[in-house]
Amino acid sequence: MNQLKPPENGYQSRTRANVIRIFRWNGAWGAATLLMAFGPKFLWNKALEFTLLAVGLDVAVGVGMILANKKYIAELDELQRRVQLNSMGITLGVGLIAGVPISVMDSYHMIPFHADIAYLLILMTLTFAISNLYGTWRYR
Amino acid sequence: MKNRLKVLRAERNWTQAELADALDVSRQTINAIETGKFDPSLPLAFRAARLFGLRIEEIFHDPALDKDRSSPATEIKKDTYV
Repeated sequence: MNQLKPPENGYQSRTRANVIRIFRWNGAWGAATLLMAFGPKFLWNKALEFTLLAVGLDVAVGVGMILANKKYIAELDELQRRVQLNSMGITLGVGLIAGVPISVMDSYHMIPFHADIAYLLILMTLTFAISNLYGTWRYR
Repeated sequence: MKNRLKVLRAERNWTQAELADALDVSRQTINAIETGKFDPSLPLAFRAARLFGLRIEEIFHDPALDKDRSSPATEIKKDTYV
């Protein structure tokens, strides 16, 4: 029997490190967004310079989150990358297909609620999660 | 595309996880290739060939190619070019 030497920095450990990095950046971005959204009202009494700082911080952390996601995708293996890209494509499509008509209907007061961006974020998050699970199940 | 990955791995008593580590991919990818749900890229096929000490065509082969070889059209083409 030929013994295989396990690699020092193998695929599993690299992926685990990348996932942890993504969670940290996502958490940081969530915190920065909360600060930007509620800080002006509850922390600094709508002082303009602090609000601008919070917006700058949110954008900077957002860029870090994008780079962490990019690194994660780049270091996935070819099957996992395919699953991720399929999920992203479906999510983008659903976001556009659902987002534009709801926005139009909202502007003509055809729906009983305001088309808040948060609804679109929730829809896109759910779509990504479901299509990712389906992709993982399909190739299991 | 068909492949002999599962047989070659079994001959060496390697698990899917061990083969995945050696080829720097996930265990799910090895399983998907073995069950024919996913065709590997050329670089990954080359890595597998190197690992097993075989040529790529000794591990992977396209059944459509066998059909082409036996079809009369291919025979005529061959005669034309020879």
